[in-house]
Amino acid sequence: MMATHPYLLLAAALFSVGIYGVLSRRNAVGILISVELMANAVNINLVAFSRAQGTALGQVFMLFSIGITVAEVVVGLALVILLYRSRQDVLVDEANELSG
Amino acid sequence: MGLSALTWALLALLTPLGAALVIAVVVPLRRRGTPATWLSIAAVVVSFIAAIQLFSSQLADPHQLMLSTLDWLPSATGTMARIGIRLDGISIPMLLVLTTVAMCVQVFSLGYMADEPAPARGRYYGYHSLFVFGMGVLVLAPNMLELFIGWELVGLTSYLLIGFYYQKQSAARAAIKAFWVTKFADIGLVLGIILLFATTGQFGWNVALPPAWAAPITLLMFLGVMGKSAQFPLHIWLPNAMEGPTPVSALLHAATMVAAGVYMVVRANPLFAQSPTTLTAMAWIGGFTALFAAIVAVVQTDIKRVLAYSTCSQFGYMICALGAGSVMGGFFHLTTHAFFKALLFLGAGSVIHAVHSNELEHMGGLGGRMKLTSAVFIIAALALAGVPGFAGFFSKDLVLEAVQEKGLWLPFAALMIAAFLTAFYIGRVVFLAFFGKSSKHAEHAHEGGMAMALPMLLLAAGSVGAGWFGSSLARVYGLEYEFHFTPTGMGASALGLLGIGLAWWQYGRATRSEAFDFLAPIGELARSGAVDRFFEIGYRRGLLVLSSGIGWFDRYVVDGVINFSGWLTIMAGRRLKRFQTGNVQDYVFAVIAGAVVLAAWGLFR
Amino acid sequence: MTSQIGFGVIAVCLLLSALFVVGSKNLVHAVLWLAVTLLSTAVLFVTMRAPFVAGIQVLLYAGGVITLMLFGVMLTRRHESVEIEAETSPRRRVPAAIAGAGMFILFATALSRTPEQPLQLHATVDTVDIVRSFLTGNVLAFEVLSVLLLAAMIGAIVVARRRDHGFDHVRIPRKREERG
Repeated sequence: MMATHPYLLLAAALFSVGIYGVLSRRNAVGILISVELMANAVNINLVAFSRAQGTALGQVFMLFSIGITVAEVVVGLALVILLYRSRQDVLVDEANELSG
Repeated sequence: MGLSALTWALLALLTPLGAALVIAVVVPLRRRGTPATWLSIAAVVVSFIAAIQLFSSQLADPHQLMLSTLDWLPSATGTMARIGIRLDGISIPMLLVLTTVAMCVQVFSLGYMADEPAPARGRYYGYHSLFVFGMGVLVLAPNMLELFIGWELVGLTSYLLIGFYYQKQSAARAAIKAFWVTKFADIGLVLGIILLFATTGQFGWNVALPPAWAAPITLLMFLGVMGKSAQFPLHIWLPNAMEGPTPVSALLHAATMVAAGVYMVVRANPLFAQSPTTLTAMAWIGGFTALFAAIVAVVQTDIKRVLAYSTCSQFGYMICALGAGSVMGGFFHLTTHAFFKALLFLGAGSVIHAVHSNELEHMGGLGGRMKLTSAVFIIAALALAGVPGFAGFFSKDLVLEAVQEKGLWLPFAALMIAAFLTAFYIGRVVFLAFFGKSSKHAEHAHEGGMAMALPMLLLAAGSVGAGWFGSSLARVYGLEYEFHFTPTGMGASALGLLGIGLAWWQYGRATRSEAFDFLAPIGELARSGAVDRFFEIGYRRGLLVLSSGIGWFDRYVVDGVINFSGWLTIMAGRRLKRFQTGNVQDYVFAVIAGAVVLAAWGLFR
Repeated sequence: MTSQIGFGVIAVCLLLSALFVVGSKNLVHAVLWLAVTLLSTAVLFVTMRAPFVAGIQVLLYAGGVITLMLFGVMLTRRHESVEIEAETSPRRRVPAAIAGAGMFILFATALSRTPEQPLQLHATVDTVDIVRSFLTGNVLAFEVLSVLLLAAMIGAIVVARRRDHGFDHVRIPRKREERG
């Protein structure tokens, strides 16, 4: 396509699906996976804008975004493993000891 | 000696203060008793000498006025209040009266209180010195504020001395009663002083009050006078104050402290003169008190109580005179009364010391055994009764004339009847105590000794002489006075003699007549303490109800507001904490929902 | 015309696989569907004439992240032969759907109000440009990113290590006699 809007709309849809996943999954790893979807949507947005402006900046940002997402997944998985070790499951519904 | 007036005045004031402080602080001195005694007496003698010096110089130059003050309370617009000494024709004579009677009483106490344990004596004389200082401050005050300070100081020492035998419950309660009643009256005085300052910007008495405020201010101040000088209905503390040692009754509750009220009116006369309403009220209240107290005095069995009610009655005379506008009348009677009433009390003290009882029934026939005491007591009684030649005659006469001239007929009549009753009740006391058969208690009575005799003699001289020096006193006051023989004066004297005669007829003879028994119910009523009951009911029904009402308001409304906000916080917390489910997904949902709402608001407005 | 059809196919593929990602009961399936999604994105990038990022996408995302996810799934799969559920919570589905839909409506509205910008697809952005940007204009961010990755790695190791054979249990002998 020759214009930005379809891509942006696609990215928005992907983002929304990711939100659905984050909010409805019970398994912690499932949530991390859904977060990946959201990050991916963001990347699409960045690249679209980069192509619209004709500069490299958007793509540079997208590479940074990938890097940050990777770091986040690493730490997230470490925490999930910790959670698994202490509770023998990774269901976030049941990990609510910090309730009011 | 060539000391300046200011130095004499300071000596008069500060030596008793110094004695009081030393006695208070140097505990071994006080515990040993005798050193404290002599220290206090020495101080009051110094004050007496100073007062004599000041009086003689005032006699020489009647209009001499010395005012020496210091800036005391600063304020944004200059000095708010000054403190110092004012020596003029009113304060110097009063100072002389104060120091004379105080000296006599303290010397008398050497004999009277000799049986008390040494620490108690030390305490006693400490209080006495403090009293002399406090009364001195009051007398020499240049403005209402300092006068009030002295006022409260003597109120304190009165409490301390009434409650001297503090182990005795009746004495302790009497002290509290005195303090409570006078404190209640002092509310009026304080409010009056505050209003004085608020309307005129200063505490002195030589100012013009705004006409609308003249009556309220002076009436409030008079309320304080009513408490201090035991006028109806705030006289109730004075009979109970007789629980204190008799010399204390002589000094405080006859001659000086209760005199402070009348003294204040004399002092602040420029203020009181501006309110005819207050003057009228004073005349009526004074007249009524004079009569009422005299009636009650007739039926008392305790010799000190007779004298206490007599004091109320005589002060009623003074207040009435002041209400009639006669400053000279009020002040003159104040002076003469100080002498003969103090003497009456000291004589009573001598008798009580001899028979070890206050009751008139336990006395009798003491005239033979205690010649000196009976002689001086009779002299003082004649002075009180207003028999011509004695001090009371001249001053009472002046009072009656002033009231009559002002056209206050009902108070005048009351005063005349009271004059008759006065002579009657004091005659009764004289005949019951000094004539007739001795009771068992009185059989071993004897005189008290030199310490008790000398002061009584000095006061006896005053009881006679003070009257004759009326004109020179007037000169000192800066007022006019001349003695005339008037119908009123003659009438009053006649009533007095009639009263004495009736007393002799009733009590002086061996057999009592039955003629006056129909008056017995009045006696019962007079002794019943109805006024006290009235105040008690007023307190219970009125003040306590008001207090509990205010307490309720404080607990439920004022505290209620605070408690409600606390309750609200806790309730809100309980409800709101349910937002913290502990589920991460709920929190994320909240974030997203919030972001959506905000963005929508941004987009769609 | 062709480009539009192509875009449509890729878009459908993308969204369908995304839906399977969030909907699968089996987590391994979910991860695999994620791989499909990521690869579709890479194809999308290629159609946008951004080959470099497409390559990086495949390498890092479809390669590294998927591997990581698989590891995560495998390591937390079961305990004492009880399978751990991976389904979505039934009672959260509706609110989640609402949130997602709300978000999408928001974006759509915002998009409808902004003017379209044409894509300059003919202008090529060289890899060189990207690299130059990294090493000159954005060099600080680049370095910080590397520190971030280092920190993430170390953090993950520290957080998730096993404690029983750790150093804190080593006793250092104090006196000669205590040494063996």
